[in-house]
Amino acid sequence: MVSMSGDVATCKSEATVVTDHFPVGLRVLVVDDDVVCLRIIEQMLRRCKYSVTTCTQAMVALSLLREKRGTFDIVLSDVHMPDMDGFKLLELVGLEMDLPVIMMSGDGRTNLVMRGVQHGACDYLIKPIRDEELKNIWQHVVRKRYNSSKEPECSGSLDDNDRYKRGSDDAECASSVIEGADGVLKPQKKKRETKEEEDTEMENDDPSTTKKPRVVWSVELHQQFVSAVNQLGIDKAVPKRILELMNVPGLTRENVASHLQENQKFRLYLKRLSGVVQQQGGLPSTFCGPIEQNSEHGSLGRFDIQALAASGQIPPETLTALHAELLGRSTSNLVLPAVEIQNLLQASLQQAKCIPVDQVMAYGQPLLKCPPSISNSKHLSQAILSAEDVHSGFGSQRAKNICLGPSSNPIELAAPNSNMLMAMMQQQQWQKQQQMELQHRQSGPPVVNHSINVQPSCLVLPSQLPGNFQVGDSPASISHASSLSKSSVIDYGVLSPQSNNSSGVVQVLDRELKPECGLNRLPSGGSLSRSCSINADNSVGLQLHNSSSAFGSSKQLPALIPNHLGSPVPYYINSSQVLDQGHMRNSGVGKCASIPSRFAVDESDSPMCNFNTAKIYLEETKVKQEPNMNVMENAKVGPAIFQTFQPGDLMSVFGD
Amino acid sequence: MEVGQLQRSFVEYMASLFREGFLDAQFSQLQQLQDDSNPDFVVEVVSLFFEDSERLLNDLTMALDQPNVDFKQVDAHVHQLKGSSSSVGAQRVKNCCVPFRNCCEEQNTETCLRCLQQIKQEYLLVKNKLQTLFELEQQIVAAGGAIPMVQ
Repeated sequence: MVSMSGDVATCKSEATVVTDHFPVGLRVLVVDDDVVCLRIIEQMLRRCKYSVTTCTQAMVALSLLREKRGTFDIVLSDVHMPDMDGFKLLELVGLEMDLPVIMMSGDGRTNLVMRGVQHGACDYLIKPIRDEELKNIWQHVVRKRYNSSKEPECSGSLDDNDRYKRGSDDAECASSVIEGADGVLKPQKKKRETKEEEDTEMENDDPSTTKKPRVVWSVELHQQFVSAVNQLGIDKAVPKRILELMNVPGLTRENVASHLQENQKFRLYLKRLSGVVQQQGGLPSTFCGPIEQNSEHGSLGRFDIQALAASGQIPPETLTALHAELLGRSTSNLVLPAVEIQNLLQASLQQAKCIPVDQVMAYGQPLLKCPPSISNSKHLSQAILSAEDVHSGFGSQRAKNICLGPSSNPIELAAPNSNMLMAMMQQQQWQKQQQMELQHRQSGPPVVNHSINVQPSCLVLPSQLPGNFQVGDSPASISHASSLSKSSVIDYGVLSPQSNNSSGVVQVLDRELKPECGLNRLPSGGSLSRSCSINADNSVGLQLHNSSSAFGSSKQLPALIPNHLGSPVPYYINSSQVLDQGHMRNSGVGKCASIPSRFAVDESDSPMCNFNTAKIYLEETKVKQEPNMNVMENAKVGPAIFQTFQPGDLMSVFGD
Repeated sequence: MEVGQLQRSFVEYMASLFREGFLDAQFSQLQQLQDDSNPDFVVEVVSLFFEDSERLLNDLTMALDQPNVDFKQVDAHVHQLKGSSSSVGAQRVKNCCVPFRNCCEEQNTETCLRCLQQIKQEYLLVKNKLQTLFELEQQIVAAGGAIPMVQ
């Protein structure tokens, strides 16, 4: 993925700028016991090209929001409702999902409006509502995200800010985690992708690199880089020496420096998260760190990581150390038994992880990068749903904790966790791969090198972590995930031989990455089915996208979202599909991450099973079956597809 | 009747409804919301309104018929009726709701009953008018004409 440094600036401005199609596809949930009003508002919103879901009961709405985190951008609620006071709902939504809420009422008395404001409403509309008033509700989404992203100190990396902003750019940035995933809106996808790419580019604090022609860090190139660093040793792995060792014509010191920086930042980030640079015990230190850290530092500020990551002042020693770790100096760290990983994941998930997804993203590292563009189609919502499920499976707490950055979208928040995990896994795989590669330099399929080698086993798959996943879904869904991961695994190419093992995570990502549409769109009609079919085509895209593991595997690292989603799986599929094949490719790492973010960690709330409670979403459940089929098919296609990935993408992913 | 005549009748009728305050600008909004993807939107919404209103009016009747009237409940019903009538543009119905709510606040059953009576009348009137309007529309369509947009 080649991002333009200059884009960062553009990105930034774009972050708050509406994409061509923005706010098309804004996902709105309307709650009103008055069916007449509901129907009218629904129609008005549809006219605004928003994606509308309606509810006549507050409780149903709440469960919808909980179950499908990240599938909505904004909530419109009536004040007077029989089953629950509108203000109460307002409070709950603000607390749990941190979504902007607009109140509506036929009663426009000042005291009521005041109450609305006090309870945190973004706006208060008086019925009868005119369509002009509804046209502009998107501003509340943008504003909220924008403010959120500004809260934490987004010092340092522009990318981080951009990421957040992007994520917050309404639907577009709904999932900042998702690399390149343009949140809900389709156009967003592209935007995100661009952003993602830009972000990764921006990762480099080295201005000179950002302005220079991009170097595509292919797998081979990265291998060389890695081995050079290893040879030199962490302490001595300075760009100049690395460059010399690599002996790659045309490569400049700056290229190396920025690449190093990217890796280091990520590592530093992880390190700081975990507080332990080196971890023994079977987990890649860098990757394990965050996860473990999560459990310990669940309270890690939302933007702490971001700050960490953002701050460009990383001591060289730390950087190199991190980098070394990243590179898997110690093989022991690389190998993480699936069980352990799972445990870690579980543990990490248990805590609210405030790992800003963006942060993770910023490093463009293995962190899951969700497919960049999660169009706002229903698929997206599905994906989001699954993402959420995933997280919930992990027992992650409030999505909020997972601060994926500015996005108020809980889903995004959730993603970080999964990202971390994924990253870890991927890293592990990657490192393993690296080592293997180093050993058999020219042997084996080239593909092996790049993919993050997301070992299915390592992935937190529902099948593996049944206990953790709160996915209430039937095993069938899990299998879906499995099949999905298979495909995604395959995508990585590396895993092709092993792809069969992979389960869940990768697969999920693939699914989610369905290029079709935004993951997070919960169609008002509940048609999640859209992208269930994971075709070979999609798989390609998926693969790319899914590779949340930024390990340079296929361009689109599907977000490795633990597949513990039962029902959500189907959603993922859709989302992945949506995630856009095309976009994913470009964004590489970042993309995958976004997916996870999309799937905000579903805090303890309703288990996945509740999915079906919302009648609107009933359709979704139907969809489940499809993806499976496709996934398998894709799986077969995977390896082949993978091969076609540009090595550069892989590398860049990793380098992100 | 030939199409042209039907259409003229339609336009005139519609204009009178606005003029006499049966319908207000909100109804025009409904008409504008109607499009190819929702060709029967107005009829659909108005039908919902009819159903909803009749249910509410029944509830109101029952509530006010109780020995101990629950005025909060009555007020809630009226509030809803006000909301839906204002959303479809049934202006006169909506206007009846305001005094009704005042009566509820005063907890005066008698005045409430009178308000209820008035609301029922207005409701039936506007229902009748709208049904006539829709029939005219159907006739125009049946005769092969297009429904004129009345603003």
